[in-house]
Amino acid sequence: MTPASSPAGPDHSRQELMVIEAARDLRDGDIVFVGTGLPMLATTLAQRTHAPNVVMVIESGVIAPQVRPTPISVSDPKVMHRAVKLGTLREVLGCLLQRGMIDVGFLGGAQIDRFANINSTVVGRGSTQRRLPGSGGANDMASHCRRLLIITHHERRRFPERCDYVTSPGFLDGPGGRERAGLSPDFAVTVVTDLAVLENDPQTCALRIAALMPGVTVEEVLAEIGFRPEVAPQVRTVASPTPDQLRLLRDELDPERVYLKAEESATTSRR
Amino acid sequence: MGKVCSMAEAIARWVPDGAAAAMGCALEAAIPFAAGHEIIRQGRRDLTVIGPISDMLFDLLTGAGCVRKVTAAWVGNVGDGLGHNFRRAVEQRIPRAIEVEDHTNLTLALGLQAAAWGVSYLPTLTALGSDLLAANPNLKPATCPFTGDSMVAVRAIRPDVTIVHVQRADPDGNAHLWGNLGVVVEAARAARHVIVSCEELVPTEEIRAHPERTTIPFLYVDAVVVQPYGAYPTSTYGHYDYDAAHVAAYQEAARQGSPAVDEYLRRYVWGCATFDEYLALAAGSDRLIALRRAMEEML
Repeated sequence: MTPASSPAGPDHSRQELMVIEAARDLRDGDIVFVGTGLPMLATTLAQRTHAPNVVMVIESGVIAPQVRPTPISVSDPKVMHRAVKLGTLREVLGCLLQRGMIDVGFLGGAQIDRFANINSTVVGRGSTQRRLPGSGGANDMASHCRRLLIITHHERRRFPERCDYVTSPGFLDGPGGRERAGLSPDFAVTVVTDLAVLENDPQTCALRIAALMPGVTVEEVLAEIGFRPEVAPQVRTVASPTPDQLRLLRDELDPERVYLKAEESATTSRR
Repeated sequence: MGKVCSMAEAIARWVPDGAAAAMGCALEAAIPFAAGHEIIRQGRRDLTVIGPISDMLFDLLTGAGCVRKVTAAWVGNVGDGLGHNFRRAVEQRIPRAIEVEDHTNLTLALGLQAAAWGVSYLPTLTALGSDLLAANPNLKPATCPFTGDSMVAVRAIRPDVTIVHVQRADPDGNAHLWGNLGVVVEAARAARHVIVSCEELVPTEEIRAHPERTTIPFLYVDAVVVQPYGAYPTSTYGHYDYDAAHVAAYQEAARQGSPAVDEYLRRYVWGCATFDEYLALAAGSDRLIALRRAMEEML
């Protein structure tokens, strides 16, 4: 509910604020299933600020590491730093995730539709078809996490009415969809972009605009979404970053700007 | 020396044309690149490659024309996303058409685990409701006979050969692997044959002194190849870090496509008689030592 003191200006980029806002979505003590890239950057930021007891679990089998900046992959030794366990995929995906011991699944950009279904397999049809890397652990995360947090650069082509291919289940065809498929209905989705925060409406399950980045209008967001989302009754403005958050991000967590690049292409981030 | 042989001998004997080969089973670490290069050098064709996240190895094998089918959860380049050779093969049949069997990481692990246990399938709650379930004939909707709940049956995945890179092994094939194991444990037990490449060959006494570290007992193993830096440019836990610069150079060639891909293959694979020649060319001893230091500093 904090109003913005100033629009995104020279003091921070929208991408930085996107990472900071996603970090705010993690609660202290959450067990978070996380891949590399912006999700790991945001999770590390949360650990260094308001949520020191966030526990990371990583699909290569790493449990509760103290990640050092700035890992490239889920098997980078920086991801394994001071972990309590280097184990197996079956343990983290089978036991912790499928058994229901993970609070938040945290994914990077992909194609996301009205009902928060995710496509990271193939976009387009026929001769314009583009093959993407595939699920990795994303389907497993979307199938079994209670909360799914997605961080992605905001582009119209990323938000179609309906994904060409459902790699990872959101609410499938809407209310009751997950139950009909045999998935747990105890599920919520938050999508943090550089323009807005989208959340599922608890009744209709459709993504709606919950918050706007400072200086961004509803119209600007609507122009960048391929379906027509509702606007939450009390749409808020995302709070500006604190100097401490910006300092951590820039000086300690991504000093080489490995992840905080000017742009992140639609297809590169994963899991 | 028991099962010890050269990589050329191991690939010639256990990876024939048309084989189904599981590789990259520790995810992005310890990917058996020495084996992958030898497969390309020997001109293997029509392989089915199996692995959860293959990083650039499956992309490289696909670009070299060795692959007919990819059974995987994710194919790309961990530093940069897309697997460009993989994409060209799927979208444009360059250098040839390939079939893709899409899994999630968990369904791939369970398929291997089913084969490892000698059962025809294993159930899971993953992939329900998704298009993976519709598109992959080896994932089928099922009903739990006890609760009546919806489930997914994952058919057993039995590789002809699993190739793993480990820190150390003895001449009989007892292998010590530590760090992230990914799906190595089940992949080694699922396959008809196993090739182990190792950083270090140790006497069986060393294995018997630390049996708790044995990831793969000799019973499963057919060949042992001694190949230090055998996972380069990926990392091997406790030994050396990932070489991001070389992976980026590969990725740039893959992005450009022909002729850059052929040039990469000519220079780094076909142009090298052995993996050691490739290591000298692509990294050199100073770089290899630096990667060793980078790993030491991190642990």
